[in-house]
Amino acid sequence: MNARISEARASFQTALEKAQTDADLDQVRVQFLSRSGAIANLFEEMRSLPVAEKPALGKLLNVLKFEAQAAFDEKKRTLDASTVRGSDTVDLTLPGRPRPVGTKHPLMQTIDDIKRIFVSMGFSVATGPEIETDYYNFGALNFPADHPARDMQDTFFISKDILLRTHTSPVQIRTMEKQNPPVREIMPGRVYRNEAISARSLVSFYQIEGLYVDQGVTFSDLKGTLVAFARQFYGNDVRFKFRPTFFPFTEPSADMYISCFLCKGKGCRMCKQAGWLEILGSGMVHPHVLKNVGYDTEKYTGFAFGMGIERTASLRYGVDDLRLYYENDVRFLKQF
Amino acid sequence: MKISHNWLKEYIPVRLKPSQLAEDLSMIGLEVEGFEELAAKYQGFVVAQVLERTKHPHADRLSVCKVNVGNEDLQIVCGAPNVDAGQKVVVGLVGATVPRNQHDSDGRPFVLSQVSIRGVQSSGMICSEYELAVGDDANGILVLNPKAKPGTPFAKHLGLSDVVYSMEITANRGDWLSHIGVARELQVIMDAKASLPASLIKESKTPVGKHATIKIIDAAKCRRYVSRVVRNVKVGPSPKWLQDRLMAIGLRPINNIVDITNYVLMETGQPLHAFDYDTLERHTIVVKCAKDGEKFTTLDGKERTLRADTLMICDAEKPIAIAGVMGGANTEISERTTNVLIESANFDPSSIRKTSKYLGLSTDASQRFERGVDMEMSLYAANRAAELLQKLAGGEVLKGAIDVYPRKLQPAKISLRVSRTNAVLGTSFTQNEIVSFLKRLELKVAKRTRDSITFIVPSFRYDLVEEIDLIEEVARAYGYDKIETKTRTTIDFTKPLNTGSLQESLRDYFIGAGFNEMLTYSLQDKAKGLMTGERAVEVLNPVSAEASVLRTSLIPGALTVVKHNRAHGLNDLRLFEIGNVFALKGEKPTDDLADFLEDERILMVMSGSVVPQQYGSEHRGVDFFDLKGEVQALLSKFCLDKYRFISYDTAGALIESALAVEINGTYAGLLGKVGKSISERFDIDDAIFVCEMRVSALVGRRTAEKKLTPLPRFPSVDRDLAFVVDSVVQHETVERTIREAGGTLLANVVLFDLYQGDQVGAGKKSLAYSLEFQPLDRTLTDREIDAEVNRIVQRVEEACKAKLRAT
Ligand SMILES: [Zn+2]
Repeated sequence: MNARISEARASFQTALEKAQTDADLDQVRVQFLSRSGAIANLFEEMRSLPVAEKPALGKLLNVLKFEAQAAFDEKKRTLDASTVRGSDTVDLTLPGRPRPVGTKHPLMQTIDDIKRIFVSMGFSVATGPEIETDYYNFGALNFPADHPARDMQDTFFISKDILLRTHTSPVQIRTMEKQNPPVREIMPGRVYRNEAISARSLVSFYQIEGLYVDQGVTFSDLKGTLVAFARQFYGNDVRFKFRPTFFPFTEPSADMYISCFLCKGKGCRMCKQAGWLEILGSGMVHPHVLKNVGYDTEKYTGFAFGMGIERTASLRYGVDDLRLYYENDVRFLKQF
Repeated sequence: MKISHNWLKEYIPVRLKPSQLAEDLSMIGLEVEGFEELAAKYQGFVVAQVLERTKHPHADRLSVCKVNVGNEDLQIVCGAPNVDAGQKVVVGLVGATVPRNQHDSDGRPFVLSQVSIRGVQSSGMICSEYELAVGDDANGILVLNPKAKPGTPFAKHLGLSDVVYSMEITANRGDWLSHIGVARELQVIMDAKASLPASLIKESKTPVGKHATIKIIDAAKCRRYVSRVVRNVKVGPSPKWLQDRLMAIGLRPINNIVDITNYVLMETGQPLHAFDYDTLERHTIVVKCAKDGEKFTTLDGKERTLRADTLMICDAEKPIAIAGVMGGANTEISERTTNVLIESANFDPSSIRKTSKYLGLSTDASQRFERGVDMEMSLYAANRAAELLQKLAGGEVLKGAIDVYPRKLQPAKISLRVSRTNAVLGTSFTQNEIVSFLKRLELKVAKRTRDSITFIVPSFRYDLVEEIDLIEEVARAYGYDKIETKTRTTIDFTKPLNTGSLQESLRDYFIGAGFNEMLTYSLQDKAKGLMTGERAVEVLNPVSAEASVLRTSLIPGALTVVKHNRAHGLNDLRLFEIGNVFALKGEKPTDDLADFLEDERILMVMSGSVVPQQYGSEHRGVDFFDLKGEVQALLSKFCLDKYRFISYDTAGALIESALAVEINGTYAGLLGKVGKSISERFDIDDAIFVCEMRVSALVGRRTAEKKLTPLPRFPSVDRDLAFVVDSVVQHETVERTIREAGGTLLANVVLFDLYQGDQVGAGKKSLAYSLEFQPLDRTLTDREIDAEVNRIVQRVEEACKAKLRAT
């Protein structure tokens, strides 16, 4: 019986070596490894032998069966691989079938990124009309009539009292008119300024503003919130400073600067050698504004802030001509 | 606003370096945009002496000069006719930047280099006053005083040691529009006091009252009018120190009288006007409003038309100045002027602003009056001007000033609570700290209680009116950067949390579907705005015709984008935009917001090839059904099955062969091919497919409202049917008939083949449908299905005049 086993092993090996095609291989499988093959037959023969011989022979046969199967599998893999490399095979380096790839406009990408940070801090999103009344755009925001503060925002008028909003701040008024504190909203949208079109200024642009009114909101919170935002958006290592400025609707008012992330504050073209970049305007909501929407100014305080999206996006992406955003050259769009 | 460093020193000892001063002032809100060292402009220019002058060997008009520039002698070729040996001149050395090039039409600066002029070496240039930008004479070189010392830097020779700051003044701080105003602000950052010099006038014995009369008729618009009369002045050029002061801040010296009024204006912030006293009828000043339509010639020589609300300065008979804006030509100071009446008045800010706006005339005076001028400065400024007229023009100052001041200003008092200050700022200041901050701004304590301090506000801080204004001053004086930076984030769970908007989902959807997002201008030219035939909203004061009308559709803007891309060979476009369109509801714009329509739209644009260029796939241009398929996919995602298409006989103004989309029974938009006449206006000769829909129509069903339909537990059965119908019969009719006849078992109907040709004959077409039957509670038998199919076939044959084809 031992000899029969060795013989079977030898003839299996010879047959396997000879096999060149899938058909040859299948024949080897039928001859040796199938249910009626040589190895199965040997197992069958073993059953009629005396009990004492069975364990040793069984072990030998199992080894043969295992080895034969492994050698067979290996041979099959080799054969399959060489078939692929053959003359009528597929060139896998050919390109995949392309499909169009969609992109988000860089300005919307910027708005979304800013939104996400503030939403995670508990702000929700509000919007309002682009055609506005003088009252919502100016009056309610503490711009006195016939005051030079109005020159800060050159306005497109539609009629005597109707205009194209010059900032998204009217949405602050509309939001506060509708609900009581706490108010915590961010307001993205399109705004209009009557300025000559150039690489640095457009007649309309996107802005995002934020508003937080509640009991106990302080200038210190304003700084904390905006610094948290700037670190998320511009990186953890930016330094910042707040500088007094004037807006009719906030007091105290502050412009926020961050250290230039390009030159790390050493001075470069982007920051005009200053080492600092102005990123947003902010301030404590003026009590007149809170009064105009019927809030108790003794009980509630709040802060507001706003930034231009084109400018923010340009700092991020290095776009130096704002008109590119509205030309929508697909070679431009596909970069974002 | 330009502020001179040396000038500031007259009011406060400035010990800060310019760069530090700029930074520190900016940090308290007086923004210094930059500063210029005047001497820097003349780097490389020195006083020189011409030692010899010889004729150029090869050029008649040129001279070769040997000049001494202090430590060495240079050879310089010069073309000026007036150059001569012995002269003291100004030489620009090699490497220096000449401020103005007289051979350049724009006079742009240029850098000097070592050159050879017709074979003769020239190491520098002898300059004209035009080239040095100290005058306009370009005909010859500037010849200096013989006492000038060769080698002296030209800047030093001119006495230029000043530094000039450019400051950005915020709209609330009119008081910063003067040197004393800036000096006072410096008190916050320096330990020093600012003050104006005392004015010392030697008055004559003649009282002014006998020689001039002032009458204010419109006291609401003219709050104060101070006047002084100075006789026997000599009009002439100002002394150098005064000219230097004015030139440093960019003002051109005119004559001593005008220069003095400008000097006092820039010193105090109080606009002054000097009238030629002898031209004033009856030596009388009357302040009153103009007659509507009255004409008046200002001293710039322009005739202006006045309105009934224009405040005028008049004499006994005629108007002589537009109050607070500009004087008149009729009473202007001239070389023959001997007697002068000085006006130092205070006008109502909003009145001056209105006048300046409608006249389109903004002056140094009007800019200050608009923001407000210190009521208590009028008398000082008039006295100061009189003092200088006496000193610099030799005048006799009549005794006393006429001061018409109908309602004297009472010093403002504002109370500030310590608790409130800390509550707004998030600080913990003590009462004493707050007092020490505000003292530096010249606010004086009138009264203190446990929590509250009452301050007396100086008259020049008319911008401070209430508590919050003082809180801001506390924060500024303390320093914004020193206030603690606290982060406090509390999320309010009493309201639904933000889950993202429909617009965000739409954007994400389109990006996944391979569309590029575009954003186009909402202000367009009129032609584009009117393309849709809607009543477009027009801007009253457009900046250009290109941006004068609000868009009524997203399509024209998108076609501009298509045109741009096609011009760059980019023809395969899949674009989308989400944005607002606008229209008038009525015929004309009104003052009521409700009369304006503002509608958010979504636009899809497809053109060019249906798939990107690739091997093994046939090129096919986008057609209507590619667009329709995209629209269907979008709608089934956002509106489930609540939409249908309606075929219109008449299309939209921009789209031909259009289908309308209806969602939940409401019109949502149109899809189709852009009309040929429209694409031609954008020079587009290819088919552009667009779909424009109202975003609000898509709001119908959102994720939260979706309900699960249980998955089928029994197998479904497919049957294919093909019908031959007249070509005019629409697929939609056939499909609807099948669905109606199919009843509840019929789960889906898909058109899988469309054939027109020989096999079905002319005027006919074959429509092949795959029908899916889905039972809910059992497995269907063949007999049941056959019964269903027969009913459907019968109904279609009847309703659509169809014939079943063999399947
Ligand atoms: Zn930089």
